[in-house]
Amino acid sequence: MSSTITKEDIDELLPEEQISLEEPPTTKDACIEHLLDLIVTTGRVIDRERALEALLAREEQTTTGVGMGIGIPHAQTDAVERPSLAFTRSSAGVDFGSMDDEPAKLLFLILVPASGGEDHLEILSALSRALMHEEVRDGLYAAETPADVQSVLQEAVA
Amino acid sequence: MSEPHERTVEIVPEAGLHARPAAKFVETANDHDATVKIGSAEDGDEDLIDAGSMIAVTSLGVKQGEHLRIVAEGEDAEEALDALERVLSTPEGKS
Repeated sequence: MSSTITKEDIDELLPEEQISLEEPPTTKDACIEHLLDLIVTTGRVIDRERALEALLAREEQTTTGVGMGIGIPHAQTDAVERPSLAFTRSSAGVDFGSMDDEPAKLLFLILVPASGGEDHLEILSALSRALMHEEVRDGLYAAETPADVQSVLQEAVA
Repeated sequence: MSEPHERTVEIVPEAGLHARPAAKFVETANDHDATVKIGSAEDGDEDLIDAGSMIAVTSLGVKQGEHLRIVAEGEDAEEALDALERVLSTPEGKS
């Protein structure tokens, strides 16, 4: 149905600089900006305001809190130059208005260029498939360094 | 226990089974007593996943024009399938 992302893709999509293991802000919108700024810092975002608008417009449709303590805000926008992920985690959890009422503790952000076609859905579905496994979620909670986060995801998609 | 009911439905919304249609689909599955499982048209029974979980539905990544296999079991299984088929057959913005 959708091709998976490969082990090699993880380093390209989610370099260590786009992973933060510090506590993120406690509200959903601030948290989305925080994740976006991780990708802004690595120079991949051409227009921060436009990227943020696209992310918030997607949240307006329906929350990206997918349950199981996971939030995956995402957008397809020309404000980013290539497919990029960011990751952070919150020990208290952030209220994402998820259907299962679980606060989001594992937070990923996905930005894909508007020309990226189906990359967008493929990254989202591959990530969701990986995160459905308890050992993957536990690995992300236990990660001590950004490199640990990359390894957990590489294992998960291998 | 009643026999499972099933059907295979084409995805009409432009975004595929994603965003608003996906949320509506999960809500509809949860609104029924029947146990609802889904998979791609080629998936066998052992590959089917819970239709009432947003992350499970997101993990499928079903696109517009693709087909979804829906299996429902329980007293209101047929009603559940009708309601779910309506969600998948409604272009976005028309529901």
